Amino acid sequence: MAAVESVAMGDGADAAGEGRQRLELAALSAPAVLFTVGMIAFPLVYTVWLSFQSFSSTGKQSFVGLANYAKLISDNEFWHGLWVTLALYVLSLALQLVLGVWLALVLFHARRLSGVVRTLFISPFMMPPVVAGMMWLVILDPSLGAANYILTSFGLPPSDWLASPTWVIPTVALIDSWQWTPYVALIVLGGLQSLPPSVYEAAQIDGASAFKTFQRITLPLLLPTIVTATILRSVDLLRFFDIIYITTQGGPGNASNTLNIYGFRVGFEFFNIGYSSALMLTLTAIVFGAVLAFNRLRGAVAW
Amino acid sequence: MTENPISDGLLRRLNTLQLVLAGIIIMAPMAWMVLSSLKPSFEVTAYPPTLVFSPTAENYSQLIKTTPFFSYAVNSLIVTIGSAGLGLLFGIPAAFAVSWTRISWPAILTLAARMAPGTLFLLPWYVMFRQVGLIGSYTALILSHAVITLPIVIWVLLPSFDNIPRSVFEAAQVDGCSITRILWRIALPLVGSGVAVAAILAFVFSWNYFLFALVLSNGDTKTLIAAAFNFVGEGSTNWGVLMAAATLIALPPLVLATLVQRWLVAGLTLGAVKG
Repeated sequence: MAAVESVAMGDGADAAGEGRQRLELAALSAPAVLFTVGMIAFPLVYTVWLSFQSFSSTGKQSFVGLANYAKLISDNEFWHGLWVTLALYVLSLALQLVLGVWLALVLFHARRLSGVVRTLFISPFMMPPVVAGMMWLVILDPSLGAANYILTSFGLPPSDWLASPTWVIPTVALIDSWQWTPYVALIVLGGLQSLPPSVYEAAQIDGASAFKTFQRITLPLLLPTIVTATILRSVDLLRFFDIIYITTQGGPGNASNTLNIYGFRVGFEFFNIGYSSALMLTLTAIVFGAVLAFNRLRGAVAW
Repeated sequence: MTENPISDGLLRRLNTLQLVLAGIIIMAPMAWMVLSSLKPSFEVTAYPPTLVFSPTAENYSQLIKTTPFFSYAVNSLIVTIGSAGLGLLFGIPAAFAVSWTRISWPAILTLAARMAPGTLFLLPWYVMFRQVGLIGSYTALILSHAVITLPIVIWVLLPSFDNIPRSVFEAAQVDGCSITRILWRIALPLVGSGVAVAAILAFVFSWNYFLFALVLSNGDTKTLIAAAFNFVGEGSTNWGVLMAAATLIALPPLVLATLVQRWLVAGLTLGAVKG
């Protein structure tokens, strides 16, 4: 390879070939790059500009500087939305990581995974979140739903689920965890399958118990995979939208008004595009911050 | 563990028990959705809920009669196939160029779309598309959904292209093949399964995507997922029809995902987990 290159360097015709090669590579990525600039990069910059604007009810826009950001600080609905977003995030992530690791261990110790089991496990997160919301809306109906029937037949008190300001966030976390725990489990399973078997053999020779082996060996070795799953789920959970919009639209009252739902409604129900832009850029900063922080953590736990 | 065969067998049975339990929790809600869609209208809201009933297709026929379900489905297909096609058309050569040059910023830039909330893009798009009169057009919907499909295609194909030994390309270059020709004639046939996974994941995620169509579609171009929002409003009294709609909307992604289930999770992590 090196020899071929050094020959090519000395040859004028091949140098021209290399220039043509670079041109060809640029042409190959050009459509994707142009699309990305036009649909992602430019709109991002445009949103920043929009966040400095105020839109009146007649559609007139005027430059207001940082006023939209100043408004964030005094906007109770923003702080409430941030709280709802973080509560839903922490609750869902904790559920999905704990249950996901458990499920991964169960799958790992199963003799073999048939296609049927795999299909069953991917079904929840391959179906549209909107459909998951519709489905659970019927199951969790406070008066006629199957969930309350099951609860009461075990002598437990029924719940208002999505209709209760207190329970709506835990309920949405449950729905999202139903959908995405199998995804976390399959990622962690991939991590488990790539662990060297030798470490287990060593632990067995030392007579370590199953729990000690998991705690001292499996879990630390799995941490990079778990952090990866955390990053992937964080990105979705911090932007939570679909299931809430289809089931409660942020209600009851404003009990499930996440930042993404709030920003969407400010922008497209009240047409306050400027303020909505400021809200969404703030949320984006939160998501990027979380991804960067977990990415560093992944570096720290790598082995 | 291994020195005691009895507890070993017990552990295995306990493990199977947990697997069955997890399977039931995963399956039960979906089974309930399908069962409800097959119940006669007087039985679907019966309390206590019934498990035994004579199944009927009346909910499905009512859904098709009372809503423009078919035209929504056609809209969904146009937008989904259009955006998945665009994602493949732009993403395949881009992934190949990134794999060849190891210059990864174009691929990383597309990840911004994976991380930022959809509303962030929807605001400027709305202003831009309104200025050129594209609100409610298939063009706007396909372009916006291609923002979902492009990163999927690039990041699913990148490891596939990386896995091809460079000597294969070098041999072709010695024979005078251009890079473009190497991509279409040599590399692409070698990553056939990767392309299939990319195409199916792009289809599924475009089909499932809710937010953009909510704002950028109109009555004529509304996708099924956006129409589902109206079904919920109208279906609050008629669960059977609502669950029939839910079942039909979920069917295409579920069937397609089953085809590539083995490679699906690695593909979904956008390069974070190797399959």
